[in-house]
Amino acid sequence: MDSEEILKAREESISHLKSIYGDDAETVTADARYGFISGLLKDVLKKPPVERLTLSDRIDKVIVNRWLGIPLFLAIMYGVFQFVFTLSAPFMDWIDQFFGWLGGYASGISPDWLASLLADGVIGGLGSVLIFIPPIFLLFIAIAVLEDCGYMARAAFVMDRVMHKIGLHGRSFIPMILGFGCNIPGIMACRTIENPKDRLTTILINPFMSCGARLPVYVLLAGAFFPANPGLVVFSMYIIGIIVAIIMAQVLRKSILKGPSGHFVMELPPYRLPTISGVLIHMWERGSLFLKKAGTIIFGVVVLVWLLSSLPWGVEYASAQSVIGRIGSFVAPIFAPAGFGQWQAAVSLIFGFLAKEVVVGTMGTIFAVEEGILGDAIAAQLGWTPLIAFAFMVFCLLYVPCVAAIGVIRGETNSWRWAGFAALYTTVVAWIAATIIFQIGSLFIG
Amino acid sequence: MADWWPEDLEMMRLRLLASYERPESERRESKKMAKEITIALAGNPNSGKTTVFNNLTGARQHVGNWPGVTVEKKEGICNYQGYHIKVIDLPGVYSLTAYSPDEVIARNFIVEAKPDAVVDIVDASNLERNLYLAVQILEMGAPLIIALNMMDEAESKRYRIDVNALAEEIGAPVVPMVANRNQGTDELLKEIVKLAEEETTLPGFKINYGQEIENEIAKLERLLSQSGLSLDYPPRWLAVKLLEGDEEIINKIREVKVG
Repeated sequence: MDSEEILKAREESISHLKSIYGDDAETVTADARYGFISGLLKDVLKKPPVERLTLSDRIDKVIVNRWLGIPLFLAIMYGVFQFVFTLSAPFMDWIDQFFGWLGGYASGISPDWLASLLADGVIGGLGSVLIFIPPIFLLFIAIAVLEDCGYMARAAFVMDRVMHKIGLHGRSFIPMILGFGCNIPGIMACRTIENPKDRLTTILINPFMSCGARLPVYVLLAGAFFPANPGLVVFSMYIIGIIVAIIMAQVLRKSILKGPSGHFVMELPPYRLPTISGVLIHMWERGSLFLKKAGTIIFGVVVLVWLLSSLPWGVEYASAQSVIGRIGSFVAPIFAPAGFGQWQAAVSLIFGFLAKEVVVGTMGTIFAVEEGILGDAIAAQLGWTPLIAFAFMVFCLLYVPCVAAIGVIRGETNSWRWAGFAALYTTVVAWIAATIIFQIGSLFIG
Repeated sequence: MADWWPEDLEMMRLRLLASYERPESERRESKKMAKEITIALAGNPNSGKTTVFNNLTGARQHVGNWPGVTVEKKEGICNYQGYHIKVIDLPGVYSLTAYSPDEVIARNFIVEAKPDAVVDIVDASNLERNLYLAVQILEMGAPLIIALNMMDEAESKRYRIDVNALAEEIGAPVVPMVANRNQGTDELLKEIVKLAEEETTLPGFKINYGQEIENEIAKLERLLSQSGLSLDYPPRWLAVKLLEGDEEIINKIREVKVG
């Protein structure tokens, strides 16, 4: 009698049980244990009759309902984006007018190069990013409210079944939702996942969750190319991000990260009314990062883009003959199959690696206009159609996360190889997705 | 201790106190005279396990790592009525499967170190979920004591728990506690000493898994006991784990030598 024989007997027993129960023995044994416990508790535990359904339980009957759960989740997310858009529009107009006035004032300054640096570079570039303060802060308010009231834990619970199908569990969904704010806390939240392969998978798909920094790209392009319903288009970006994340999780779990997934009991905290100060603190924690980025990385890049657009001296500002035009022209053919093979797009995507808001900031500097008319400038000068704009948005959604996120992936996985892998594979996925959208879309739209 | 006193500050304070407590020689002496007992603390996360651990060991704590993994291992000493009780804090887990390093550490310790008692800290206000771990500890044949913690919360929810009935039906001592207010620590220590002194094996605890599964368990159990494989674990428990597809146990069986 040796171990081989025992293991063979095991296989036989398992397939026998599977044929009877249609379920893994593990599920049946767990049920038996809980059955024992609930029998035991009938004798041991007396609960007061009124307590049976707390208000939280009653709300949960609807929120985490088997059929209603996921539609409700989507409806809530859609509501969030409509809220963000409708409410932020007037504020964005004010900021736009302010920068328009400031730009007009700056262009009167002498010498000419300083006027160009301030008006075209700093105000055009930084202005086109800062205008997104209202939607970004409103999005962070909405996320904070959903978190503080206890809904986020429910969203994870609702998605648990979906996540199980892709070989992860609901726990992985919390980092994904956090990724909507910013991928960096999302990636760091993966620490709570015990199973190393679950954890690595969740880290690697987190960049597909559309962070707040990508919002400016969508708002700019959706507003210019889909004026009828920009909210819906932006909402679709978030959904595409989730779908791609789920697909890639499955691909990773079935290829390089094969193995069983961990089990976890999910705790659902009771619903609470969020406090105003709590929501504002959370909003500020995340929103201030955006302002800091605007003051440092984005400002630096904007000046760099202006410089490269003006060099060599004497060249027409931001023309194809400028340094930036030559860099862009060199890279641009890669993006031609996806529809946006113009050097301006290529350049903004390259600089977008530093921070995704920079995609818009770079465009603002190149076209030397601020946000209000930047969309129109892109449509007119690059000859983009709504289809190309959509493909470009999808590319921005999926391609390499910002350099800070890659740094955090390196820190959390303790491996440059995984960080490099994350940068590379997301870009490949982005290129494929954008190309498919443009090529197939062209067949129908022409 | 004030409520606002953060836990890790408290730990630092305790460790500082411990550093100038009794000289090493004196400690060794008392160890020689006292009877040694080893106990393990198990429990779900948020069941108040750390509080119970602090109540038991006070200043005499040592923090290290479990071998081979970066999971924190806390050990402490508690001297009680001439007994020298070594307290091992197991990682907080909901279950004893092989899905996380924490769970494997917990169950391996229970089987390999054979502590004189496994104290499972159970949240009385959340009995159903917490007892799942207790049931699995019993299934491993370990000497279990249930520390029924957070009795105050259960009371505020107006739960009525029949402690004696619970102890009787599950076949293990049950000690009601409010660890936050250091209530029940003495009773728990009494039960620990009693269980360690008794040296009696617990009445074999069994979950009835239903006819079909029981048949397969019996088959595997027989093969395991006849095999002459040297395995620390109780055969019935191994059989259940094999059926559950527990990777760690399957690998153990694959690698173990006859003898």
